[in-house]
Amino acid sequence: MMLETVAALTAAPEALDQSEPDPGRETESHAGPDERSVMSRVLLIEDDAETAREIVAELVDRGFEVDWAATGIEGLDKARAGEADVMIVDRLLPGVDGLAIIETARRERVCMPVLVLSALGAVDDRVRGLRAGGDDYLTKPFAILELVARIEALLRRPSENRDTMLRVGPLELDLLSRTAKRGDRAIDLLPREFRLLEYMMRRKDQLLTRAMLFEEVWNYKFVPQSNLVDVHMGRLRRKVDAPNEQPMIHSIRREGFILRAPA
Amino acid sequence: MRLLEFTRSTTFRWTLAASGAFILCILVMFGFILAQAHSYMTTDVDALNNEIANAIASHEPEQRILGLEQYLRADPHHVKLGGLFAADGRRIAGNVETLPPMLRGDVAAQLASLIKVEGGAREQQAVRAVARALPEGGTLVIARSDYEFTWIVHIVERALTLGLLPALCLSLAAGVFLSIRAQRRIEEVNRKVQRIVDGELRERLPTRGTNDPFDELARLVNCMLGEIEVLVRRLQGVGDDIAHDLRTPLTRVRVLLERARQKAGNLDELRRSVDQALVGLDQSLAIITALLRISEIEHSRRMDGFRNVALADLVREVGELYEPIAEDKKVDFAVSADAETNVHGDRDLLFEAIANLVDNAVKFTPQGGRVELSLLRNGNEAVVRVCDTGPGIPADESELVTRRFYRSDKSRRDPGLGLGLSLVSAIAKLHGFSLNISSGPGCVAELAGQSAAA
Repeated sequence: MMLETVAALTAAPEALDQSEPDPGRETESHAGPDERSVMSRVLLIEDDAETAREIVAELVDRGFEVDWAATGIEGLDKARAGEADVMIVDRLLPGVDGLAIIETARRERVCMPVLVLSALGAVDDRVRGLRAGGDDYLTKPFAILELVARIEALLRRPSENRDTMLRVGPLELDLLSRTAKRGDRAIDLLPREFRLLEYMMRRKDQLLTRAMLFEEVWNYKFVPQSNLVDVHMGRLRRKVDAPNEQPMIHSIRREGFILRAPA
Repeated sequence: MRLLEFTRSTTFRWTLAASGAFILCILVMFGFILAQAHSYMTTDVDALNNEIANAIASHEPEQRILGLEQYLRADPHHVKLGGLFAADGRRIAGNVETLPPMLRGDVAAQLASLIKVEGGAREQQAVRAVARALPEGGTLVIARSDYEFTWIVHIVERALTLGLLPALCLSLAAGVFLSIRAQRRIEEVNRKVQRIVDGELRERLPTRGTNDPFDELARLVNCMLGEIEVLVRRLQGVGDDIAHDLRTPLTRVRVLLERARQKAGNLDELRRSVDQALVGLDQSLAIITALLRISEIEHSRRMDGFRNVALADLVREVGELYEPIAEDKKVDFAVSADAETNVHGDRDLLFEAIANLVDNAVKFTPQGGRVELSLLRNGNEAVVRVCDTGPGIPADESELVTRRFYRSDKSRRDPGLGLGLSLVSAIAKLHGFSLNISSGPGCVAELAGQSAAA
């Protein structure tokens, strides 16, 4: 499976260096959710038992507590109980549209973040509307890694503080003057690079998949044919990590990127 | 059974209905003619009766008997009736036995029933009769039986029997003949259609070259069958392509895993192989995702997400997105979007379409080449043009490239899903835009659509 790495990598940052051909593989066996002080509870509403079992197994492996509901009614009841921190809802449930469940829950002031799984629907306005609310959606078929990364992102919503200055280690981003510095070195960024760096700094130490970056920074939800994100990230990395400095932007092969303060 | 079968055929029923209508028409016509004849004859008889009654009544009383007898004598067809009655109702002369009460006094022409006596025989007859009151008392009755009319009716009846029966038989025979002919043709068509349903798509309906509506229909259906055959063949081709494009990475994955299982000496080696296998699986998954996406766009007839889209911004954004990729590949990339123009459409899909065109251009342009992305106005049309200095597309392939999985043979070895242009084509179709792929020195792709008001 392609999902073992998130937790593993959070545990072993020094092994992430891109120059290493096979980063951190030895340390992968369950470091656990060391950054979450309390176990996060996930409510999974999914009618397909097989899919549900896979998702549950993976999330439990990563230290989540998972509550599985096989029907929309059961799911809604569990959501009302309000014990979960995040909810995963399959759109195609027997008899109901998953979105209807979310709408009902929202009306009843159940406000946990939601990740919607949809079979199709990239051009669906209702799903698009979801994103505006901070929730997220994934189109099937998806890699479980992508699912986990998004759950993590939903759980660790970036602090929406009013600070006009973002800091990660020696890296500083001034949102007012639109300037960036690493230590004393000024970094000259193009507007899109600035947005990319801002997004990453707000989510330091989190695995950000290519799809997430493309959606959030470029605002497009499709799979680009070329390695667009990699190329843009490469440019940003050359600007952020000078040859003599400890790298801060780490790429995780095939999976995504993490911004981390140097050790 | 066959005999019963044609009676159920439409042609036969229509023929029957037509002959029925025809016969009804004839009957109505004859009926009308008879009614007319009857009314004319009645008028005529009444006038004659009146004239004679007046003539006889105007005679001296002793002359009347003679006049009446003379009149009654000249009667070859035995239609004349007449009677002279005394005031007390006693018959003085004539062949009417008794004077019915309704004919006492001056009575205008009317239908009456009289008893005719002739040489001892009595016969009740329906007649037209008039009566005249005589000055010295008594009544003169002159009547005429409707024998002539009955005779005419009889003739008409005979004519109808002799004419209509053969006509009916003839039309029945024609109906049977026509319906058997139509039945044969329909059976032939049914057989062919059944073969087509069974999958024999080469089969065509028979035509006779007679240009009758049936032939025309058959030709039209054949035309349609031709279209369907082409589509089905193409679909089969697509299926083969999908199978092929999925099999290649999957085969690689299988070989990798098999070898790793036998050869891997330690966990690290196994992981490396698994990673490689995952790349292959991801590629297969990407193909499936792209296919689903195309069919999603093709089947969504949703236009409610359409807004006015500023194309210049969109083009500049695509330019910004691909500029680093082109630079990495050492391809000169020029973006010009001077024409400010709006189109009505889905911004995200249009972005995806243009991005795909640029993606293709950059991918197929060799190092040191040049890609131009430009937005032009051509009259009322907004045109997004992507030119490159790549190998171009042979003229005979320029239509094929928008087909799913089509990849020019020359580019088989380049990475890609072979789905990019069919995605663009699907998006263009959804918007009612045109997509033109032509070969200049390199490849020129043009996406053109109607400008919307700003």
